[in-house]
Amino acid sequence: MTALIWVVVLPPLAGLVALAPRCTTRIAGAVLVGGATVSFGAAVAMAALVVGRGHSQSLGGFFYVDALASFFAVTVAFVVLLASLGSAAYVQAERDAGALSSFQARLYFTFFSVFGAGMLASMFAGNLGLLWVLIEASTLASAALVGLEAKARSLEAAWKYVIICSLGVTIALVATVFLFYSGSALHLSSDQRLTWAFLFAHARELQPASLRLAFLLAVIGYGTKVGLAPMHTWLPDAHAEAPSPASAMLSAGLLNTGMYAIVRYEAIARAALGDRYPETVLLTFGFLTMAVGVVFMMRSGNYKRLFAYSSIEQMGIISVALGFGGPLGIFAALFQVLTHAIGKAVLFLTSGHVSLGYKTREIGGVRGTLGALPFAGGVLLLASLAVAGTPPFGVFLSELTIVRAGFAGGASGLAGLFLLLVVIGFLGLVGSVLSMSTGDVPEPAPVAYPTTSGRVLAAAPLVAGLSCLLVLGVFVPSGLSELLLHAVRAIS
Amino acid sequence: MRVPAVTLASASLQQLSSSSAASTLVSLSAVLMLVLSFACLGSKLFNRYVAYYGAQSIVLSFAAAVVAVRFHSAELWALAALTLVLKGIAIPVATRQLLLERLDLRRDVALSTGLSTSLIVGALLTTFAYLAIGDDTLPHGLLAAAVVPLSLAVVLLGALSMVVRRHAVAQLIGWLITENGVFLGAITLAATFPFIVEAGIFLDLVAAVLIMVVFVSGITRRLAQATATELRELRG
Repeated sequence: MTALIWVVVLPPLAGLVALAPRCTTRIAGAVLVGGATVSFGAAVAMAALVVGRGHSQSLGGFFYVDALASFFAVTVAFVVLLASLGSAAYVQAERDAGALSSFQARLYFTFFSVFGAGMLASMFAGNLGLLWVLIEASTLASAALVGLEAKARSLEAAWKYVIICSLGVTIALVATVFLFYSGSALHLSSDQRLTWAFLFAHARELQPASLRLAFLLAVIGYGTKVGLAPMHTWLPDAHAEAPSPASAMLSAGLLNTGMYAIVRYEAIARAALGDRYPETVLLTFGFLTMAVGVVFMMRSGNYKRLFAYSSIEQMGIISVALGFGGPLGIFAALFQVLTHAIGKAVLFLTSGHVSLGYKTREIGGVRGTLGALPFAGGVLLLASLAVAGTPPFGVFLSELTIVRAGFAGGASGLAGLFLLLVVIGFLGLVGSVLSMSTGDVPEPAPVAYPTTSGRVLAAAPLVAGLSCLLVLGVFVPSGLSELLLHAVRAIS
Repeated sequence: MRVPAVTLASASLQQLSSSSAASTLVSLSAVLMLVLSFACLGSKLFNRYVAYYGAQSIVLSFAAAVVAVRFHSAELWALAALTLVLKGIAIPVATRQLLLERLDLRRDVALSTGLSTSLIVGALLTTFAYLAIGDDTLPHGLLAAAVVPLSLAVVLLGALSMVVRRHAVAQLIGWLITENGVFLGAITLAATFPFIVEAGIFLDLVAAVLIMVVFVSGITRRLAQATATELRELRG
C-alpha cells in the first residue's frame, strides 16, 4: 500500500518537465496529462484495495490510508486529471494568442504540478502536523498560480489569498498544538500524539477543554481555506483572477483538501466530546456560509466570481451536512464533495472557453453563448444546472440526501432553511448563466480554440466530467457506494 | 474500528513546572516578546517593524534554547538555532534589502486607525487572551499556564497589526509576528512536538516569505508605474 501512495502522489510532478530548457508547452501539457492519468488510475486501484483489506499505515503513522483518505484522493485525482487536460489546452491557446510568455507557461506547469502533488499527499498524511505542512505547501504553490498573469489585479488577488490563508492556516497550527496537548495524559510517543488513528482510538481519554478549543480553532483555521464565512473574503478574488484551469483546481481540489482536514478533526471531536458541540459549530458556520454565498451570487457581475460564490455556498452545504451528522449526514456530505468537485471543475473549465472567446469575465459582456460556442455554451448551461442541484445530475441526489439526514436527525426547521437557501442559490446561478446563454451572437463571432487539436483536448474533460455527473445522478455504482460506506464507518 | 497497537516507546507528555529557573527565563522571554509586539504595533516606520520582529525572534530562539537545555533535547537545539538564523537574521536582512531599500519604504502612512486606538485594542486583546485560556484548559503550576496566554496575546497582536495596516510589507511582518506567537506557545505547551513537523513548518515559512516578497515587490512596482502613467497623462 505504501508503494501505491507514491504512485498516486508523485506522477503529477511530471509537469516539472516544463523546467527543462527545450521543453515546449505542448510537451509539458502532454506529460502533465500522462502523469495525472497514472495518478488517477493508482487512486482508483488504492480505493479498491482499501475496500477489500481495510486501513493501513506506514512510516510510524506519518502516512495513513483508510477509506476516507482514499475517497478524497480519488476525488482530487479526478479533478487534477480534468484540470490537467484543461490546462494543456488553455495554456497552449493563451500562448498562441500571445497572452502568456514562455516563462509564464513554464511557471504555470511547475506550480500546477507541485500544487496537485501537494494536495494528493495531504490526503495520506496520518500525522495531523504533517497534514498541516502539506496543506500550507499546496496553498503556497497555488498562490503562485493566482498571481501568474502578474497584472495589478491578479497580484492583488494573490496577495490577499496568500496572506489571509496563511493567517488562517497559522490558526490551524494553534489547533494542532492544542490537539497535541490534549493528549498529555496518554502514554504515547510524541509522534503518535499527532497521529490521527491513535487520537481517534483514544478520543475519550483526551482532555475535553483543550480539545474543544482545538476543534473550534481547526474549523476556523482550515475553514479559511475551505471558504467558510466570514473567512471567505479571499476566495472570489483568487478564483476570478487565476487562469481558468487553476480556478478549477482551487475550487474543486483545494477547498476539499481543507474540508478533509475538518472532517478528520470532527471525527475526533465527536468521539471525545459527544455530538452536540461539533454539531453546533458546524451548523453555525455552514448556514452562515450558505447565506453569504447565496446573497453574493444574486449580485455578482463577473461570472468567475459567480461560480466562486457558488463554491462558497456548496462548502456551506457540506458543512451543514457534516453538522447534521449521523451515518446518513456524513454519507451525504462525502457524496456532495464528489459531485460538487466534478461539477465545479467542469464549470470553471468551461468558463475558460467563454473567457478565451469573449475576452471578458463580465456577465454583462457575454451574450448568446449557445449560438456562438454551441458546445461550450451547452456545457456551461448543463453544468450550472447540475451544480445548482437539478435532476437528473448527481448534486440533486446528494442534496436530497442531506435534507433527509436533516429530517432524520429531527432538525426539520433547519432542513427547511437549507432547502430555501438551495432554491435561492439555484435562481442566482442559473438566472445569470441563462442570461449569458441566450441573446444575440456578437459580431465577429467569438472563437475559443482556433485549432482542432486544441478543441478536442479542451472538450475531453468537459464531456468526461458531465457524463460522470449524469451517471451519479441516475445511480451510484456499487464500488463507489461501498467506498463511501467504508469511509463513513472509518470516522464513526 | 480496530485499535492500533502502541508500538513505539511511550511516556506521558513531559511538562515544565512553573517553579524552576528555566521557567522563569522562559516567562521573562514571553513577556519581552509581548512588549516587542506592542512596540511594533505602536510604530510607524518600516525599518522599526523589521527591527522589532528580528529582536522578537532572537528572544524566541533564546526561550527555545532554555527549553532545550531543560529537556536535553538535540531537536530543540536545532530548532533554536533555526529560529535564530532564519527568523532572527535571514528574514529581517532579506526584508530590509529586498523590500525596504529597493522599494524605498520609510514611513507607513496606510494605517486604518490611529496608533493610540490600535494600542488600546491591543490591550483589550491581551486581556481577552488571559480570559480565553481558562483554568480548565491549563492547570495552575505549569509553566504553560503562564506562557500560553502571553503567546496567544502575541498571536492576536500580530493579527491586529495585519488588520490595521494596509501596506503589504506591514501585513507580512504582522503575519510573521503571529507565527512567532504560535511557536512560543508550541515550545512551552508541547516541547516534544515531532521534529519532522517543525522542520516542515520552517520550510513552509521560508517558502511563504519568498513568495510574499515576490508579490509585494510586484504590487509595489505596478502601483509605482500606475502613478507615473497618471502623471504623464495629466501633463499639459
